[in-house]
Amino acid sequence: MLRYLATRLLRALLTIAMVVTFAFVVLRLSGDPALLIMSVDAPPEAVEAFRTAWGLDESLWVQYVKYFNAILHGDLGRSMRDGRDAIQLVAERIPATLALTLPALAIKIGIGVPAGIYAALHRNSLTDRVVMTLAVMGFTVPSFVLGLLLVLVFAVQLGWLPSGGDGTWRHAVLPVVTLGVGGAAVLARFTRSAMLEVLGQPYIRTASAKGVPWHAVVRGHALPNAAIPTVTIVGFMVGSLIAGAVVVESVFSWPGVGRLLVVAVANRDLAVVQCILLLVAITMVSSNFVVDLLYGALDPRLRQSRAGGAG
Amino acid sequence: MSDLAIAAPVAAPAKARLHIPPGVAIGLGWILLMLAVAFLADIISPYGYTALDLRNRLSPPIGFGGVWAHPLGTDELGRDVLSRLIHSIRMSLLIAFGATIIGAAFGTTMGFLAAHFRGLVEQAVLALVDFSAALPFLILALAVLAFFGNSLWLFIVLLGFHAWERYARIARGLAISAGAQGYAAAVRQLGARPLRVYARHILPNIASTLIISMTLAFPEVILLESGLSFLGLGVQPPATSLGNMVGYGREYLTRAPWILLAPAFTIILTTLAISIVGDWLRDKLDPTLR
Repeated sequence: MLRYLATRLLRALLTIAMVVTFAFVVLRLSGDPALLIMSVDAPPEAVEAFRTAWGLDESLWVQYVKYFNAILHGDLGRSMRDGRDAIQLVAERIPATLALTLPALAIKIGIGVPAGIYAALHRNSLTDRVVMTLAVMGFTVPSFVLGLLLVLVFAVQLGWLPSGGDGTWRHAVLPVVTLGVGGAAVLARFTRSAMLEVLGQPYIRTASAKGVPWHAVVRGHALPNAAIPTVTIVGFMVGSLIAGAVVVESVFSWPGVGRLLVVAVANRDLAVVQCILLLVAITMVSSNFVVDLLYGALDPRLRQSRAGGAG
Repeated sequence: MSDLAIAAPVAAPAKARLHIPPGVAIGLGWILLMLAVAFLADIISPYGYTALDLRNRLSPPIGFGGVWAHPLGTDELGRDVLSRLIHSIRMSLLIAFGATIIGAAFGTTMGFLAAHFRGLVEQAVLALVDFSAALPFLILALAVLAFFGNSLWLFIVLLGFHAWERYARIARGLAISAGAQGYAAAVRQLGARPLRVYARHILPNIASTLIISMTLAFPEVILLESGLSFLGLGVQPPATSLGNMVGYGREYLTRAPWILLAPAFTIILTTLAISIVGDWLRDKLDPTLR
């Protein structure tokens, strides 16, 4: 178990180091940031001053070491546009994004998991077909189309809710629903297939054959085993809480991290993009790490310290 | 996550008696229609996609007071929505095809390299797979676009990296198990070089699994492309794609919703059709799911 955790932790750190390296390499490959930020006809002295100010006149290797070192100290650079700390700019936006993604996550889990379990237990029934059709629809309708259709119906036609912006809870309803519905569809599909796979296993047949009541088979054998793959995808959803709303925030002009990212990309404000990239990677990797810990709790085969325990 | 064992496919060819459910038939029909539209775009589109008709600006579609000259209406500049839709379908399908093929080719090659060399190469490939799986692809794509700016070819290649890690995992797992089977060892004994063994013998044997992954990744690429284009960071005007049209139509949501609805429903129907056909193919070809 300890060994398992140590390898996982090492892998997580390695992945984050790779993201940092990726950001650095891509940043330097993309050309001279000084020329990107300054206008083409800027005087050479100004460009030179800019280079010195941002440390761009040193060798690549020195820049890389400095870069890594700065990030280890929590210094993610300043926005090349307005000179504020990139990390501060991003941090300001996080609560707004969480205000959308947390309720959306609750919808995803609250609807997706039960719907998937129900559909699997009543395979090929009418309900199963309806749930799965809805799930496929939810999965194939892009979030920006769903968002705009909701705006068209509830804001333009019915006038019940605002079409964008922020301020009151009413502004959050449409974006949360847009995010939640799509994710619930994905989760329902996934939970259903995980359940079906487990229900086809020999140990389920064995348990039924020895006379265990069906609901006890489901509760005691099917659900815990189907939980293992489902936890993975929920972990992925938790990991994307910070940046899972890029498109939806843009549709509803919601001032979150995603909106900041899109604007920063359009302006090529590299420090901010980098900062968000790292933040997302760290959230994602830590959430995957927690999932790995949960595996240890959910999957007795990984609990090597305790002997026995059937799957 | 990277060490998930991949079940060896025993992809027995589907029995000759092919029963196609009605939903799948409709899906196939829609895909064929879209392909025909993409191939014949220049012939069937009534106007050029940038042609202006300033006397008919914001003309609604037929049935809502429109004129037959513009069956799906026109936009703010009087451009024919039908013609733009036809060219957008071509652009979006072209990008999705290009990207899916790049992803499959790159991922499969990496998977084969890992399976062939094992050791350090394999660890390096697996670390890259972990890296790709750790970041949502949309964020990665946005970062690259921020750093490199945009051009159509860069955009296609970039989207090609979507889901490469899936092919790499599948190809690696399958190639390792194929290497343990008699036929690969036999041709190797006959003196075939590795390239020949992988390209002529192993690849055909795992092709069905890879093709299914491609069908499942294809709608995702369409959604990614349209999402990025919608944000104004994908296909750049004057070129047009489905997401691009939706992004443009958003400005006229209240006055001229048809500009947005036509491409929106095309995206939905196309991804839906491909998903349905892809799911059906997977169920047909993967005996473990019966």
